[in-house]
Amino acid sequence: MTSSERKEQAEAAKDRKATYGADIDLDEYQFGGNPQKMAADQISEDDKDLVEEVGFRTDQKGVSGSFAQFDNESILADVLMSQEGLEVMPISQALTKYDWLSDYLWNAVSVDTDKYTARSELESYDGYFIRALPGQKIRMPVQTCLVMKKKQFAQNVHNILIAEEGSELHIVTGCATPSTVEQSLHLGVSEFYVKKDARMTFTMVHKWNEAVDVRPRSAAIVQENGVFVSSYAILSPIKSIQTYPKVRLVGKNARAELYSVVYGTKDSVYDIGGSLMLEAEGSSGKVISRTIATENSEIIARGDLQGRVAGVKARLECNGLLLSKSAKIVAVPVLDASAEGVELSHEATVGKVGADQLNYLMSRGLTEDEATSLIVRGFIKLQAPDLPPALQRTIDEAVQLTLEQGL
Amino acid sequence: MYMTPLLEIQDLKVSIDGSQILNGVSLQFEAGKVYAVLGPNASGKSTLAKAIMGLPEFNITSGDILYNGESILDDNITERANMGIAYAFQIPPAIPGVRFDDFICRICPEYQCKEPEGHFMGKACSCRMELYDDFERLGISNLAYRDLNEGFSGGEQKRSELFQVLAMQPQIMFLDEPDSGLDYDSLKLVGRELKSIREKGTTTMVVISHHRYILEFLEVDVVYILQGGRLVYTGDMEDIPVLAEKGYERFLSEMKEAA
Ligand SMILES: Nc1ncnc2c1ncn2[C@@H]1O[C@H](COP(=O)(O)OP(=O)(O)O)[C@@H](O)[C@H]1O
Ligand SMILES: [Mg+2]
Repeated sequence: MTSSERKEQAEAAKDRKATYGADIDLDEYQFGGNPQKMAADQISEDDKDLVEEVGFRTDQKGVSGSFAQFDNESILADVLMSQEGLEVMPISQALTKYDWLSDYLWNAVSVDTDKYTARSELESYDGYFIRALPGQKIRMPVQTCLVMKKKQFAQNVHNILIAEEGSELHIVTGCATPSTVEQSLHLGVSEFYVKKDARMTFTMVHKWNEAVDVRPRSAAIVQENGVFVSSYAILSPIKSIQTYPKVRLVGKNARAELYSVVYGTKDSVYDIGGSLMLEAEGSSGKVISRTIATENSEIIARGDLQGRVAGVKARLECNGLLLSKSAKIVAVPVLDASAEGVELSHEATVGKVGADQLNYLMSRGLTEDEATSLIVRGFIKLQAPDLPPALQRTIDEAVQLTLEQGL
Repeated sequence: MYMTPLLEIQDLKVSIDGSQILNGVSLQFEAGKVYAVLGPNASGKSTLAKAIMGLPEFNITSGDILYNGESILDDNITERANMGIAYAFQIPPAIPGVRFDDFICRICPEYQCKEPEGHFMGKACSCRMELYDDFERLGISNLAYRDLNEGFSGGEQKRSELFQVLAMQPQIMFLDEPDSGLDYDSLKLVGRELKSIREKGTTTMVVISHHRYILEFLEVDVVYILQGGRLVYTGDMEDIPVLAEKGYERFLSEMKEAA
């Protein structure tokens, strides 16, 4: 697709409402910007505190590369000097550097999906490009962070992540706003490409505030024997988020696992999903969500498995825990098999903390509050077997921190 | 001289969802002794133990429960547990995401790590090592990293419950069928464990059971038999073989005739 065809398609979809989520009037926001490069030591103290809350290490210890973007203004992109086979750069720069990259742009995600994707294309944008070169096993994670500080402003980013054949790539990413930001919008397009025999894990922690709407548009394409694992935790209040990442398993024995943890607070509305399209022989996967609704929060947990060829196998779990009378959880599991011998299964539960569990733990000397918190912690614990322990810890710690504040 | 018993149940009536299950039970448990609470299925044995533990679905409509001479009806489960009352559940609920070994360390001061976190560079602390040794003794080492009660087999549930209750070092423990579903080897392990507690003499043990093996091995001091939510017989060790031979119905009717 040429650049002008893209623009044309985007133009045509400019007013197309999204299937899910409250509609947002994009004209209320200011777009644009021309991000300038910055170095790690130029990050202000306040910003340091903010990004560190979502796991971004400004000292860059234990990471192979870093990318941070503040509004659409400044960008930090760094690869550890000794790290071979890894590229981390602003997408604008990557698109100039590599002609072939335009084939990856709006390939996993369609530009005319809805008004958010369309607008992302029509406005100037940046974002990150992260790529592991063929055969390179990059064990230390790449960290990224997107920060939004301006009011009435839309941050639109377009990210492309590629794990080339036989490579291994781990990304840990955080998104954050200071608690003082008023009404703003985050549009994030992310396209993941996992090539033959490659592995990619993507671990994301979101920390927004009650004035922020977020509409990520993510999709992945996984090829033969490729593995894609996405773990997502949103633990802060938000105005609304609607996200429904889609993974296409197009190569033989490709595998994907999508995990999400939502801890709903205040009046936040979370519409979180995950979709797997099993298109190739032997492909398999899981979509697992654990949601906890407190206060007046509302959570919709969607999951969608589509089996397109015989013998594929996938599992969907949406488990919700209601901790408040005025909170709400809706689980919407969809299984769709269009071939024989497809093995799709699901479990969806929404409930309160069980009295029998509480009584049991209290009989072991815990108070009611201690017992509740133990049950909630256990419930929310994400166990993604393919996640490196350090990243598992990132998620665990974020969850623990939230629970300590919340319970 | 009258010694205040550790636990005294006075004319206890208990109902669940409005239907009365215990119809006025009075009995006593003295410190350091071993009791068997027996009776046919559905006679109210578990109900008695759970009501003493304070589980809220068991409604106490009249009577009293005195612990060291004081009523504990106003104390909740946690408070009763902290006073030294323990109940080993017949069917404990699964608690997903809570590891068995972590949980034990959480509830038992004995196994709590006293060293600052991160001190061991990935090695388990000495308390953990001790814990794993103790797991070994009850043959449940394989459960250490599993989620609490999640998919535990019947026998594993029994041993895990026993382990927890013992580790809490209570004053009085109610073991609800600690021997059902155990194979011969596990039965021996459990028997030996209970025997060593009995020999220490610091804990009152109340065993609800349908099998003579454990009761005889433990040499129980007192046998209580419940039927239809009432205490119908009080006896001792001697009764157990007779009971095993005749069954409750004949045993109880012959006792009635003799009286
Ligand atoms: N949670 C409950 N709800 C309704 N009925 C119950 C409940 N628990 C026990 N019961 C009833 O109370 C009676 C006594 O039960 P239980 O104390 O468990 O007997 P046992 O332990 O002697 O076999 C039985 O008829 C049983 O069905
Ligand atoms: Mg029973």
